[in-house]
Amino acid sequence: MNSRRHRLRRAAWLVLAPFFLFGLAFEILPVLTLVRSSFTAEGGWSLANFGRAFTPVMVASFRNSLQLSASTALLGVVGGTAVAYAIVTARSRFVRDALTALADVTANFGGAPLAFAFIITLGSTGVVTLLLKAVGVSLYPSFRIYSVSGLTIAYVYFQLPLMILLIVPALLGLRREWREAATNLGATRAQYWRRVAIPILAPSLLGSFLLLFANAFGAYATAWTLTGPDVNLVTVQIAALVRGEVQLDPALADALALVSLGVMAMCVAGYRWLATRPWMAAP
Amino acid sequence: MLVPLLATVLFSVSTRWDRTIWPEGITLRWWQAVTARSAFQDTLLNSLAVAAATVAVSVALVTPTAYWAHLRAPKAKPWIEFLAIVPFGLPGVVLALGLIRFYSGVPLPLINTPAILVAAYVVLTLPFMYRPLVNALEAVDARTLTEAAQSLGAGGWQTLVRAILPNILPGVVNGSLLVFSTVFAEFTLANLLVGTRFKTFPIYLVEFTRFDARQASALAVISFVIAWLASVLIIWLAGRGDRPRETLAAR
Repeated sequence: MNSRRHRLRRAAWLVLAPFFLFGLAFEILPVLTLVRSSFTAEGGWSLANFGRAFTPVMVASFRNSLQLSASTALLGVVGGTAVAYAIVTARSRFVRDALTALADVTANFGGAPLAFAFIITLGSTGVVTLLLKAVGVSLYPSFRIYSVSGLTIAYVYFQLPLMILLIVPALLGLRREWREAATNLGATRAQYWRRVAIPILAPSLLGSFLLLFANAFGAYATAWTLTGPDVNLVTVQIAALVRGEVQLDPALADALALVSLGVMAMCVAGYRWLATRPWMAAP
Repeated sequence: MLVPLLATVLFSVSTRWDRTIWPEGITLRWWQAVTARSAFQDTLLNSLAVAAATVAVSVALVTPTAYWAHLRAPKAKPWIEFLAIVPFGLPGVVLALGLIRFYSGVPLPLINTPAILVAAYVVLTLPFMYRPLVNALEAVDARTLTEAAQSLGAGGWQTLVRAILPNILPGVVNGSLLVFSTVFAEFTLANLLVGTRFKTFPIYLVEFTRFDARQASALAVISFVIAWLASVLIIWLAGRGDRPRETLAAR
């Protein structure tokens, strides 16, 4: 009996073995290689690589990436929640379905084709640029799509639909009775939001912010297509080191990669923690 | 939200649209020019092949694992979920760097091959494949189905393929479509892991944006249409309304 159960358990893990081996080979070991290499200098454990990694250019790249991620995540959270609220409370079924479908579809647009669509729309001879010029507003040269402000617009474009998809379930969890109860007790609309709705939504909003932040921080294709090496972002720097465009210094690239991995990992871990809290409205 | 998409479509069929508010004329010249190139067909086929291979490997790898963990080894679930959540926190450039570092140190001929690209894509899209599968498994009462199949004399694989798979097919198809559309549009890993040695469609697109905007816009439209088709299929399969989804496509 005991040995049979033993055998069954061994069989169970045998079926799972390919998956775990795959994860080990292509997910865990590559990351551990970076960890080991970035902490190794002159044959021993050392933090020297991190010290070297933080040249003024690299510090600037982290500042740019953090700023871009924070601002686009914030814009995404605010805008996405507003649209999601419109979806959830829409009286017309058509409006609801149309907005949901738009969010679904645009969430899948991203990377290179999206960046290029923005060049066509807001580039120096872009469609919207020309339209605005015709009505007397000239975007250029004060605005450039190939800059950080241009990247912000392009990033918000993919942050918004993601936020909508993330927050709709939480908004659906807001019960109508809570609102009615607040109104019956004399609360105004603003008071209801400040004292009831926002505190209930807070974990979802914060969790979504973290995920959007990570989403922007790790993005590379959009930035590369739109601005090439012109805009100094962490991912652009790492990619340049991978391609060996800049002098080859493996340990330096690994240290940079590890720091950005740390930023992203904290975001995703925070999101997971918030999403699995018992007090979170069940999706 | 629609302006950039419509502008791209219109741009790809305009004769000239950089001096006037509206296109100066309509033409299919750019479409003909770009689709006639042999590189167009090659890169399109490369991308379709890589996307299909990724879906195949992912389904083969994740389906039995998710099923088995769900039914027999719940203790393994947190570990599987860990592996399926890590890609969210793993920037494409970091995954590429890690793979290059690790596989240039071991005697396996994987570096610079489409095979390592497929492996990286399977990792990148693990969350998209795993989540819909688990949702489907939870929805169909896999335990009862398994017991029923086994009481009728089905073996382990037979149960999975003949009894479970048809019932969780919507989850498998949903995950596959997400994986497919993500991989098809992915640029970062393709660029860093194989680059010009095995050109994929997005790499071709980015190359074109540097020297012929009109033909590039036609390529971008093709990309959008494929992503759009995948979304429409997913929405259509899910019926309407409630489907919490995770989309962190290739950025």
